[in-house]
This record gives sequence, structure tokens and C-alpha cells, in this order.
Amino acid sequence: MGFLGESLQHALTLILAFDAEVVSTVWTSLYTSTVAILLAALIGVPAGTLLALSRFRGRRFALTLLNTLMALPTVVVGLVLFGLFSRMGPLGVLGLLFTPYAMIAGQMVLATPIVAHYTVAAVTGADGRIFNTALTLGASRCRAALILLREIRFGIIAAIVAGFGRVIAEVGVAMMLGGNIRGTTRTMTTAIALETSKGEFAFGLALGIVLLTVALTVNLCLNLLQQR
Amino acid sequence: MTTPLLTLNDLRDRRGTFCLEIPALTLQPGGVYALCGSNGAGKSSLLRILALLHPPEQGRLALNGRPLLSEAQRQQGRQQVTLVEQAPLLFDGSVIENLAFGLKLRHITGAEQQQRIDAALSTVGLDGFGPRRARDLSGGESRRVALARAMVLRPRLLLLDEPSAGLDAATLPLFERSLLTLNREGTTLVVVSHDPDQPRRLGAEVLRLECGRLVPTTTETTL
Repeated sequence: MGFLGESLQHALTLILAFDAEVVSTVWTSLYTSTVAILLAALIGVPAGTLLALSRFRGRRFALTLLNTLMALPTVVVGLVLFGLFSRMGPLGVLGLLFTPYAMIAGQMVLATPIVAHYTVAAVTGADGRIFNTALTLGASRCRAALILLREIRFGIIAAIVAGFGRVIAEVGVAMMLGGNIRGTTRTMTTAIALETSKGEFAFGLALGIVLLTVALTVNLCLNLLQQR
Repeated sequence: MTTPLLTLNDLRDRRGTFCLEIPALTLQPGGVYALCGSNGAGKSSLLRILALLHPPEQGRLALNGRPLLSEAQRQQGRQQVTLVEQAPLLFDGSVIENLAFGLKLRHITGAEQQQRIDAALSTVGLDGFGPRRARDLSGGESRRVALARAMVLRPRLLLLDEPSAGLDAATLPLFERSLLTLNREGTTLVVVSHDPDQPRRLGAEVLRLECGRLVPTTTETTL
């Protein structure tokens, strides 16, 4: 059996044995990404809905900006937040750098434009009668918007799932703001990068398999939701 | 002198190449109006303006003598005005949930809510349909549920865009009688209809729209 075969066998053994380090790393990834995406949804869904339903001067610019922010390089987000959270930075006093909170903040910044963009698409593509029907039955515009979101909930969940797919697989923010500290800020992506460079290919491969499984599951969910 | 229920003055509303222009329109409390005209005359556009769904480009609207200038005033006004569109939309959920939607917004719950829902479903010939999933209904049934959803609110002004289109011959007289009952209880009706006899059956004053303008017409007064 060659190097790849042996590594794969070792990787599968690590996964099936629930190796403590693999479990801890997967947990950190899932925890930070889940919290980040929930916070991103709290901002992105209302922002996207407002942008889709409102008509104001500069709306087109705002939509273009949103599209641009979707392609935000992770290292740039990491760099800016590193400046804010570093000891010399304006938020340095909080002591967040190299903690999961800093990673969550960075991932939230990455995911929010994606959630907002897909929310805009879902609201814009929704049946125009939903909002008017709610209004004519006596709902306020805010209540009508909530009804609209309930009616297009699968599109909104798809927006959130798309954002999750982005943050679970990113490496720049997690590396720069988390620092890849074992047991606290080591995520699947940062561990793969580090362990592979140290020669621990099987460990990296084990995390790669888990990451791929998570990414596939996320995309499968996304496809199923988009078909509804 | 009675205060008009709704007045519309100097309306001008442009949508693309089409322009709705109405110098003055008054709806009296307890009136029944049939809005007639060919396709594209602007009937649905006028209904949406009367339903306070969007402010006209130009013009003044007043409900019960009070001008409706801000969105907050229009929202307040929509508590008294309800529109049933030509192709109404039912929310995801049961028929009961759809009918209860507007009632809950008006804080009408419990026994009164149930009584109004049962009566409205009976009126449109859909007894026992309450627990059914709204999205599983046929087109005609959906239209009847939408009518019932508006009727339970007992609005001051009920705007109906071709309401009889989804009703069968047996249900139509029942439905028209219930509209007249609503009217006797104080609801002003504006009905868009392509049925030439419906204005007469409802004893409605005919408002005829042609190319976005109201044109003089005879008034039907007989039931």
C-alpha cells in the first residue's frame, strides 16, 4: 500500500475512533461557524429584506456594494479585524485576539453579505402578492415583511446555509484571528494547513474528510431547499 | 350631511405608458359601487389605490374626512379597508389560519373569532374546510377562502376584484346575498365585475372606467 493508501487508512481510523484531537478541532469549527452564521443571519436577513423592499436613492449602489462584499478576501477581513483586536488597536482592551470570539466576529463579517445577498434574491423573487395581501388584511409594513419571510422561509434558510458553507471552509480569518491554538481556536481548516506542513498528513486528511463531508451535507441541504 | 367614507381628488397615477386620471370620486358610507370597464381600463389599479396599498403619484385621499398622507395613516386606514384581488393569495397554513390572520391583528380571538370564521365559510359554501391546507385547494376554492378571509373582518370598505369568477351557479346567489347583508350592516362595497347583471342584482351604482378615466354612466338603483 502506498503513502496515500496508508494515510487514508490512518485518517479513517482517526475518524472512526473519535480521536480526541480530531473531535476537538471539528467541534471548534462547528461551534465558531454556527455562532457566526446565527449572528450573520440576525443582521443579514433584516438588511437583505429592507434592501429588497425599499426604494431609495443609492439602492443600486448598495446592491453593488453587497455583491462586492460577497467576494471579500478572508485575509483582508482577518487583517482589518486583527488591527482592531490587537493590543494596540481600538478594541485591544477587550482581549479578544486569538480567542474563538475574534474568529466568530471575523466569520460573521464574511457571512453577513452572503446571507444578505441571498435574502435580497429570495425576497425579490417572492410572489409580490404576499406583502400586499398582508397589508390589505391590516398588517403593518413590518409585520407584512415578517409574513413575507415566513412564506419564503426555505429561501431564507438557503441563504443561511450558503453563508455557513462559506465560513466553515474559510482559513484566513480563523488563522489570523484565532492563531490555531490547540483546543481553543484550532479549526479544521487551520489544522489541515498546519499539520500537513508538519508532516502529519493522515491527521490533515482525517480533518479534510470531515470538512468535505460537512461541505457536501451543506450543499446537499442547499440544493434540497432551493428545489422547494 | 353625512361625511363620505372615502374621497379621492385630483388623482393622477402613471404606470409606464398607462395613466389613471380621476378628478374626483366619492364613496358614501353604505354604498354599493360596481366598477366596470374593459380589460386594461385601470380597474385593478384604482382598487389598489382605494385599498391604500400604495399612494398615488398625485392626488388626495381621505377616509372618513381625514386625509391619508403618511404611511402610518394609510396603515390605520387599512384596518377599515380590505381588498380581495382577482387572483388572491392564501398564506401557507390551514384555511382557519388564513381566516384568523386579520382577526388576530385586530385582537379578535376566542369564541367571536370562531363564530365569524364558521359563518364566513358557510357563506361561501366551504363548511368544514377549516382544517384543510390552503395551498391544496383548487383555484375556485382559494378564491372563496380569500373572500371569506375579507368578510370575517367586516371592513367599512370592501373592495372586490371580480369576486364571482370562482363561484359556481349554486353559490353565487348565496354569496351575493351575504355581500348585501354585509352592506346592510354598514360595509361599503366596490365590486369589479364583468357580469353585466351583477350591478343590477347588487343595486350598485356603476362607475365606468375607460382608458384610466371615469366616464358618465347611468345609475342602477333597482335590486
